[in-house]
Amino acid sequence: MSLKAFNRALWVYHMNTGSCNGCDIEILAVLTPRYDAERFGIMLVGSPRHADVLLVTGPVGRSMEDSVRRVYEQTPDPKVVMAVGNCGIEGDVFYEAYSLVGPIDQIIPVDVYVPGCPPRPEAIIEGVVKAWAKLETLAKQGVS
Amino acid sequence: MAVNDMEKTTYTIPIGPIHPALKEPIQLDLEIDGERVVDVDVKVGQVHRSIEWLGMNRNNPVQSIYLSERVCGICNVCHPFCLVLAVEQAADIKVPDRAEYIRVIAAEMERIHSHILWAGVAAHEIGFDTVFYLTWRVREEIMDMIEYVFGNRVTKAILQIGGVRRDITEEQLPRIRQGLDYYKSVFEQLRRIFLEDETVKMRCRNVGILGYEDALKLLTVGPTVRASGVPKDVRQDQPYSAYADLDVRAITPDIVTGTVVGDVYDRIIVRLLEVKQSVEIIEECLEKMPEGPLLTEPKMPRLLKLLTDAAGEGVGRVEAPRGEDIHYVRMESGVSTLSTWKIRAPTYINLVAIPTILRGMQIADVPIAFASIDPCMSCTNRAIVTDRASGTKSVLGYEEMHRLSVQKTKELKR
Amino acid sequence: MEKLTPQEIVDSFKKALGDGFVDGQIYEREVAVKKNRYRRIWIFVKRGAFREAVRHLSKIQEYPHLVIISSSDLGDDVELIYHFTVYYGFHLEEISLGLRVTLSKKDLKILTITDLIPGAIFPERETQEMMGVEVTDIPDGRRLFLVGDIPEGVYPWRKDETGPEKYLRVLPGRKPKGKE
Repeated sequence: MSLKAFNRALWVYHMNTGSCNGCDIEILAVLTPRYDAERFGIMLVGSPRHADVLLVTGPVGRSMEDSVRRVYEQTPDPKVVMAVGNCGIEGDVFYEAYSLVGPIDQIIPVDVYVPGCPPRPEAIIEGVVKAWAKLETLAKQGVS
Repeated sequence: MAVNDMEKTTYTIPIGPIHPALKEPIQLDLEIDGERVVDVDVKVGQVHRSIEWLGMNRNNPVQSIYLSERVCGICNVCHPFCLVLAVEQAADIKVPDRAEYIRVIAAEMERIHSHILWAGVAAHEIGFDTVFYLTWRVREEIMDMIEYVFGNRVTKAILQIGGVRRDITEEQLPRIRQGLDYYKSVFEQLRRIFLEDETVKMRCRNVGILGYEDALKLLTVGPTVRASGVPKDVRQDQPYSAYADLDVRAITPDIVTGTVVGDVYDRIIVRLLEVKQSVEIIEECLEKMPEGPLLTEPKMPRLLKLLTDAAGEGVGRVEAPRGEDIHYVRMESGVSTLSTWKIRAPTYINLVAIPTILRGMQIADVPIAFASIDPCMSCTNRAIVTDRASGTKSVLGYEEMHRLSVQKTKELKR
Repeated sequence: MEKLTPQEIVDSFKKALGDGFVDGQIYEREVAVKKNRYRRIWIFVKRGAFREAVRHLSKIQEYPHLVIISSSDLGDDVELIYHFTVYYGFHLEEISLGLRVTLSKKDLKILTITDLIPGAIFPERETQEMMGVEVTDIPDGRRLFLVGDIPEGVYPWRKDETGPEKYLRVLPGRKPKGKE
């Protein structure tokens, strides 16, 4: 997998479906001066309609299921969904609780998984790079 | 055109969704009249992960420590701390002295991290993004220290029933002292940015006031109540662990300004001074730490057997960065899980004070006032606002509310 | 008001509540190297005398600090503990106090204390939805934490048939609990 150049900026929308905030602060740490992903053009946006990548954290609570689906539908194609943190991948310590409706891939299709509790900022950056590569493949195939 | 002639529709302001600054879902129903907030209804429940049920029905007490660590990612020492204090009371387990000091060092490092993180979030809510990035750069130093001592950046996993899992050795001390010196040197700069800047004063003075009596009646805890003048601090009143050897006093804003107003500015003062206090506490602990074992019962099968046979109740109270945290535990003999487990995180009870804090304020001030209680759940979800006067309904995203807040700062600066 | 010792507090409750007072227990523990004392009082009261007990507590401490209301399922009974603290704000002087009320499952009702302590609204709402205890005269009785499609009548903290076992989500590839 090799990226020739960063053709355009990657806009990311971060969605929290009920996580403990651990993954969220590591996602924000990616933007701060130490890891500084913004120099690559990776930017957090405030609306899913502008986003290319969806970063979803948290085990999905019962009341957030609709919101997750709606946000997924609002994001225009081509898009990539990243599940950050163990909670979104298979529930982590909260597996099989009565107030959760299951890992994220039971609700929306997920392309990149970033495991960890919470994952390090370096791991999140690697996940975004993989998402980028996938996005470029999708764009080349002409998915509109 | 008279106001009464307008069509009846409701005015919706969703406070959410996400943008820099941590967002945990919460729903605030604001009832507004023109530009001012008349009433607030707080709806929680989006982050309910049934932790107590899991601890009572599925996990043994040692597994519940890791479960309680994930109640909140930012305050991830105070919850296991409460739980082990409660279980040790219930099972009558004594903790070695060296372990008590290491627990206090972990708790104080968490406090420094949490307050500096909050300072960045508060700066972002006012519109000072540069200060947000500067403060989070300062935060990286404490993250490095935490990783150096405990092995992980966010979740420390240092606590165990009967002691701690890892030691702080002699070779680690110079690195820790270097980090503490860095914070002592940068404190003056932070103090100047947050406490002496004119715009910060204009945005934060007399905003989000919580009076002395209201704070006591509404059972607020933590820096929120200390900023209103009540010196409530569990480390001072009912010290636990090694705090009983140290002389920790509650910090109230009259130390700096001489008066107590109970607004957002006072809360900034309390949190910044607590960072300084935490640095001093860690230094004192490093000097006073005695030698000795780390765990009362190092072998896991024996520990689990001890906990299964234990019967009793315990209450653990800890001063988390956001306030007082409590866990109540009841254990029955022969049952491998905890029989009863009740957690009360500090933000739970501080949310009761939100209607009083937000009443009478402008919409542009809602983000900073809500963030000033340091909610361990930030507003991400839709919030519904009813405009009594016009009765119109429109959808304003969080972007819009944040933009209003930033715009107000720009207008004040002019 | 001057500060009482734990034994004096227990005696004052006994005198004020008379019949409603069932028992008082004091628990003390030594903390840290200097051996400071951690003190806790349990006061067992009957349901009828419960509000009087809270009023009496307000005489010992102006604005008593209610920490939380915990509830335990004991089979046929439910025990509520109202955790209070008194003498906060002073170095080493705080005493924890728990008011314990036992209710039979056939009659799970208790009076509200939100008129005496306005901040108790969230703990009372939570007890109502999680344990199924009806808090009479509560000003706002809506559900607090259980959202989504969990119906009324499901009480997560109970250990009997009203528990939430039916709503457990089983991960794909695993069998439900008890059927392995």
